[in-house]
Amino acid sequence: MAPTVLIIVALRLWPLVLGVNFSFTGDGARNGAAVGLLVLLLPVAVAIPGLLATSIYLRVPGHRVYRGVYFFPAVLSPVIVGAIFNLLLAYDGPLNTLLGGVGLGPVDWLGDPDVAIFAVVGVHVWATFGMALVVFLAGFAALDPSLLDAAKVDGASLPQTIWHVIIPGLSRTIQFVFVTTMIGMLTSMFGLLFVMTSGGPEASTYLPEYYIWVQQGQFNQPALASAASTALFLIMLVVGLAQIGVLRRAGRES
Amino acid sequence: MAGRRLTKWFVAVPMAALALATVYPLLFTANVAMKTRREYVLDRFSLSGALRWENIASAWTSVGMSRYFLNSAIVVTCSVALLLLFGSMAGFALARLRFRGSSVLFLGCLAALFIPFQVIMIPLTRVMADAGLVDTYPGLVLAYVAQFLPFTVFLMTSYYSTVPAEIVDAARIDGNTLYGVYWRIMLPLGRPALLSVGVLNALFCWNDVLISLLMMPSAENRTLMVGVTSLRGQYSDDIPVFASGVLIAAVPVLVVYLFLQRQIADGVTAGATKG
Repeated sequence: MAPTVLIIVALRLWPLVLGVNFSFTGDGARNGAAVGLLVLLLPVAVAIPGLLATSIYLRVPGHRVYRGVYFFPAVLSPVIVGAIFNLLLAYDGPLNTLLGGVGLGPVDWLGDPDVAIFAVVGVHVWATFGMALVVFLAGFAALDPSLLDAAKVDGASLPQTIWHVIIPGLSRTIQFVFVTTMIGMLTSMFGLLFVMTSGGPEASTYLPEYYIWVQQGQFNQPALASAASTALFLIMLVVGLAQIGVLRRAGRES
Repeated sequence: MAGRRLTKWFVAVPMAALALATVYPLLFTANVAMKTRREYVLDRFSLSGALRWENIASAWTSVGMSRYFLNSAIVVTCSVALLLLFGSMAGFALARLRFRGSSVLFLGCLAALFIPFQVIMIPLTRVMADAGLVDTYPGLVLAYVAQFLPFTVFLMTSYYSTVPAEIVDAARIDGNTLYGVYWRIMLPLGRPALLSVGVLNALFCWNDVLISLLMMPSAENRTLMVGVTSLRGQYSDDIPVFASGVLIAAVPVLVVYLFLQRQIADGVTAGATKG
């Protein structure tokens, strides 16, 4: 089974991701791994809020405060978030000053084509993990507390409780967060890109949405832009349905 | 048991660090907005020597943030009012009245919910341009209402489905017209849902940049968020004024969040638990 999976992933799925990615970078642009990167980041972007929500649900000290604090950036406009991080990540800005203080050379966060996409996606995750967290907490509220009590009586460890009680109990919530996080990454980063990098440097931070806007707004090519937006919609539809299918099956097996 | 308590404290430390990382960027910006340019150049982190409101004032007047603020306020108020009116009417009708094609209409609303804005943004711009609505308040309001109405209708329908049908029947027997039932009974009953949906829609409209960029191309019609993006080019050398502009745009959201955090979270999660 393992070789089959490896081959399919390496030679079928990965090229698909690359192909999708090429189609969004435009000719002459760097073949930065923008869309592929997002796909790889997705599990992390779901797991972090999931773990944080678990801790809050299990009443870590200060749990009342954390929910409100973590959720806050999610209600700020991407434009405001982007503008704030423009300040923080500027070449002569505070983050580089801080790094310089401990002897690390300045990083050109938004000017280096190899770094910029990570910086922007990092800021996006910073700004939106609270949204997923709140959804997870709503899922926890619907979870049957007697299951957790039973696990406690049986002497289950924390990882065992998470694996055998919480994850199966929240499978619908996890599905929902997976799909909405992916859609968010593909379609709600326009404000950040617009403010932070304008797609640059060297087109390394073109994400689908931004590409569509540039084709329409800058180059006045509505047909090309429409084609790209239709393609984006189909990709989202297919990936979304596939994710739900995969997670369903995984849920049934466990 | 002691082990578990220890684990909790072990987890609490990184969580506190993360909480700090969540609020610090905004605090940093607020501090910078109070500094002079000289202070910022000399030391990025030190607390500002005094509360200087000049930067805020200059961002408000000379940069034109006041105009952008007014544009945003007008558009958001009108959009939210229309969204709540149309959304509650449709929600009442879809949840409590049986009429021909009602289930088809509800499915249509659900389908519209899943169309991403990017797919329709170019044709929409065309339609608006043909109708002569580009660069006008009604145009942008209409675009927002169209964008957020499916979500509003969906939430109002599911809320009104929890209202007992007997209330509607009793009101009809008492001689109320259909509009009377809506106006005197359903609208007041829907208050908690209207508040939650209203706040969420206000945030969506206030925070939007893409729709407003497409619908309001001229400089004097900019909404606040588009105004903030234009600050970057104009004031890249005067960081405190730039930070002040960002602060002006962020403070209304901060105030709303402090008072209505629960309603916002309820609105966000309603789709997750019901869908």
